[in-house]
Amino acid sequence: MTGRWRDLAWAGAGLIALLLVPVFGAPPAIRDFIMFGMAYGLLAMSLNLLIGYSGLVSFGHAMFFASGAYAFGLAMQSGKFSIPAAFALAIVFTAALALIVGAICVRLNEIYFAFLTLAFQMLFYNVILGWVSFTGGDQGLMGGIPRPKFLGIDLADRTQLYVFCCVAFIICIAILRQLVTSPFGYTLRLIRDNQERAAFLGVNVPLVKLTCFVISACVAGVGGILLTLFVSGAYPNFGFWTTSGEAIFMILLGGSNVFLGPLVGTVILRLLNDITVTYTSHTELVLGIVILILVLGLRKGPLDLIAERLENRRQAAAQAVRDAADAGAAETRKGGS
Amino acid sequence: MSSIGSRRSASRRQILKGAGVLAMTGVVGTPAIVKGQSGAIKIGVPTVLSGRVAILGQSSVGGLKVVFDKVNEAGGINGRKIELVVRDSKGAPQEAAKVTRDLINNDGCQIIIDAEASSGAFAVQEVIREIGVLCIHSNSETSSLTADPKLHVPTAFRTARQGIHDAIGGGDYAAKIAKAKGLKKWATCSPDYAYGRSNTAEFMEYAKHFDGNIQVVEESWPKLFQPDYTEVVTKVLNAKADAMYSALWGGDLVAFIDQANLYGLFDKQASFMVNLGDYGVVDQVKQFPQGVYSGGRYNRTVPPTKENEDWYQNYVKTQKHKPTNWSWENDVAAQMVVEALKKTNGDTNGKKLAEAIKGMTIKTQFGVGGSVTMRAEDNTLVNYIIGYGLSLSKEPYIADFQTSPWEPIYELEKQWKKKQGYA
Amino acid sequence: MDLDALMRCVGTTSCIVTQLTSGMIIGMLLFLIASGVTLIFGVLNVINFAHGSLYMIGAYAAWTFYQLTGSYFISAFGAAVAVGILGIAFERFLMSKVYGSNVLMQLLVCYAVVLISDDLIKIIWGPVSLSMGMPVEFRLPPLRFFGGVVPPFYIFMIVAAMAIGLLLWLVIARTRFGNIVRAAAVNGPMVSALGIRVNLYYAAVFGIGSALAGAAGALAAPVRSLTPGMGFSILIESFIVTVIGGMGSIVGAFVASIIIGLTRSFGSIGFPLFVDGVMFLIMALVLIFKPSGLFGRPHNR
Repeated sequence: MTGRWRDLAWAGAGLIALLLVPVFGAPPAIRDFIMFGMAYGLLAMSLNLLIGYSGLVSFGHAMFFASGAYAFGLAMQSGKFSIPAAFALAIVFTAALALIVGAICVRLNEIYFAFLTLAFQMLFYNVILGWVSFTGGDQGLMGGIPRPKFLGIDLADRTQLYVFCCVAFIICIAILRQLVTSPFGYTLRLIRDNQERAAFLGVNVPLVKLTCFVISACVAGVGGILLTLFVSGAYPNFGFWTTSGEAIFMILLGGSNVFLGPLVGTVILRLLNDITVTYTSHTELVLGIVILILVLGLRKGPLDLIAERLENRRQAAAQAVRDAADAGAAETRKGGS
Repeated sequence: MSSIGSRRSASRRQILKGAGVLAMTGVVGTPAIVKGQSGAIKIGVPTVLSGRVAILGQSSVGGLKVVFDKVNEAGGINGRKIELVVRDSKGAPQEAAKVTRDLINNDGCQIIIDAEASSGAFAVQEVIREIGVLCIHSNSETSSLTADPKLHVPTAFRTARQGIHDAIGGGDYAAKIAKAKGLKKWATCSPDYAYGRSNTAEFMEYAKHFDGNIQVVEESWPKLFQPDYTEVVTKVLNAKADAMYSALWGGDLVAFIDQANLYGLFDKQASFMVNLGDYGVVDQVKQFPQGVYSGGRYNRTVPPTKENEDWYQNYVKTQKHKPTNWSWENDVAAQMVVEALKKTNGDTNGKKLAEAIKGMTIKTQFGVGGSVTMRAEDNTLVNYIIGYGLSLSKEPYIADFQTSPWEPIYELEKQWKKKQGYA
Repeated sequence: MDLDALMRCVGTTSCIVTQLTSGMIIGMLLFLIASGVTLIFGVLNVINFAHGSLYMIGAYAAWTFYQLTGSYFISAFGAAVAVGILGIAFERFLMSKVYGSNVLMQLLVCYAVVLISDDLIKIIWGPVSLSMGMPVEFRLPPLRFFGGVVPPFYIFMIVAAMAIGLLLWLVIARTRFGNIVRAAAVNGPMVSALGIRVNLYYAAVFGIGSALAGAAGALAAPVRSLTPGMGFSILIESFIVTVIGGMGSIVGAFVASIIIGLTRSFGSIGFPLFVDGVMFLIMALVLIFKPSGLFGRPHNR
């Protein structure tokens, strides 16, 4: 229970820290960076619920990023919904989509699961591309996303939009955190580590996987909504396989075994992207080399590495204490004899 | 082999630079490292520098540089130099939006010249709507960007061709040839995305308008960047049409022609290909088909003036590649920005610059009769050279170029706007 | 949807012949690439996501050799060999470092290579698309069968791809080299225990798979435009083929390539706007009903 309160306190602290950014007069570019990062961060964090915690390597996660974005954008452009209603609608739609796709996919293992999710994502992408009259095809949702006021909140104002995004982001992260520290989260890890044993212990493996898949998709959908609000549009490449690939890199760059690893990875990749774009016209070359160095040099995400080091040090310290205690015990024994 | 070694060291240097910047960002907190204001006027250019359409960015930036370098050499605007800040969006619209915001908010750019492809241009438009700096779309030809009042942004303009203009001019030309040669059955073959679809529909609409006997018997829509066109070529072949229209462009068009040649497609029908005339396309086709008509893009002999030839020579000398259609469109964008800055005395306020550019006419060889105008009513460029000619395999690559008169274009454009519900 | 047009086409021999051959043309080039992917996966158990880049490099290499020698056959052979050697280097210096680790690590290494090679191509050959043009030997009028039209170069391309595929199959199925490779695919450590240097065989297999991609690039060079990033779309299609045919099965890759080729050629008439969608649909259906693919053996990892 204390762990749970501590996590919530962290979430609150994180939110306050994020909200303080504009107060300290940070330039709008930093706010933009954070908002963009939060959208992609949710994509990566939610994908890690599948990859890192459940061992489900999905190549098609961007489908839900796009479905959130498009459902929200189309609902807003129809003019019939308020922002909260469209938000809820987009999540419900994404959940329904994930339920159908997930029900078919979770039966498969490893690489076949990966390819099937990829196939569904590309189907979805082709539908967006082909259904020009509804989705705008390759041009995406044009003409901006209207943002009528609700409850006195005006998302057309960048500061208010920033606050809105921060709150949505922190809520999602808190939900994910609650999930992975709950018994459900331990079940996920049990399935990841040994599916047969989980089934033997009476876990309904497909059902747990499917639940995880749907929740993860919904969080990715929220990421898509945030990006739609940020760029005031939705585009087919939100759901292209390269976007899924990018999310995987974020996870690997940050580390999949530490809860906030994907978020760190998101920041690293975005920074790397912004810097290479700013200082060289050879973005691909630089990014490629950095990835090679990270993969072949570190062989895991930096956060995983740090966590491992800390763990080793903690164990070493514990060992030292134990050794000292043993030595002391031996000493007293000797003295006693 | 030695070149590989040097490349590796170059990349290592880049990494070090990257690492240094990363460290610096840790301190400053953002990649906002603005290299001394020095009173320069900063112009941000979101464009595509990587992937399959890298040439778009390269030849757009070339067109801008030619103008701004000259202005800077002559002392700048009121003594202030013009500084270009070019960013790669990698062709992703959301990156285009982000990059544009960063250029304005982070790098302090006061003006945006948007050299994005179409879908990126729409994303940039939304950023401009919010921030309100001057923006010139220099590459997007999609008509609705400026024609649709719902998308209108007061400080955003276009110096690129507009699809509907090309379609009317091209349709007129095609109809004349169709009447003379009796080309009644037409097939189309255009890339399956917004530009290809609207461009083709508009072209055929006006071809039919000028010649009632024309009918479209087959449409084929290869995907953008599709590597193999065999199934499309055979489909067109099966249609046994008298003529074909294609809006394919760049490397896709070259591949299509190479593959269609194998089937002798061009011997069987007349072909109209609006984007064939560009350098980088026409000079890449190895087996050049006979009797193919191409739209005017950029050509050193159109118009056949000394001014144009000098511009071409200067461009090739300074930019190390041949100019494309994007080069002249950006050249005009740059010139308009310079003229507007002169009018406002260097004031970069978006509203004031927009006021200065609205209705502006500048002298340039790319215009009919030596001038082009930024039409005030819908912020788009008019009176630039539109036309068609017969394609040739060698310099000058085009013969019998016929410039379309603008009067009928204005007339039909008005009707088109009414029909679309734009006016 | 335009099923009428499809029925009309199926009703005339000329249309059937033309579309059948165009399906084979698309399919056979795809087969060369997919057979490399499937071979490497079957033996080394890694998915080479950088295979499209090898195809691209093959095309560019062929272009350069052609400029230098003026002989298409020498260029094509040279490109295949060059890409094969490059593939061995790629395997030794990069891929072998991530054997046995997470599939995502392999993906990441390949992605890095894709990015780097795309940019290097742009630096060396420039961002403008290049075209080799049809070699003089093949500048012949198209042949006609039953009213259908078939260009001579494509006949060469289909025959060459089939011959290479057959050769590959013979090498794997009938030679000592093939026996060892197949044994290593099933149990590498065991083969290694027999005193065979398995690593050499792994490198060789990777080299052969790469050379296939290089050959495909060289065969494509006369008719397709060369641009940085040209390996991108072909990569996805070759994965579809590999998955449908069954990962690790060369025969499966052959059959699946033809399926995809025909889907493209007849699909462009019947459902032109959803051809890509249908390809992914086929892939999804195969994965749902027979995850190991049409010709794959059930595979547990």
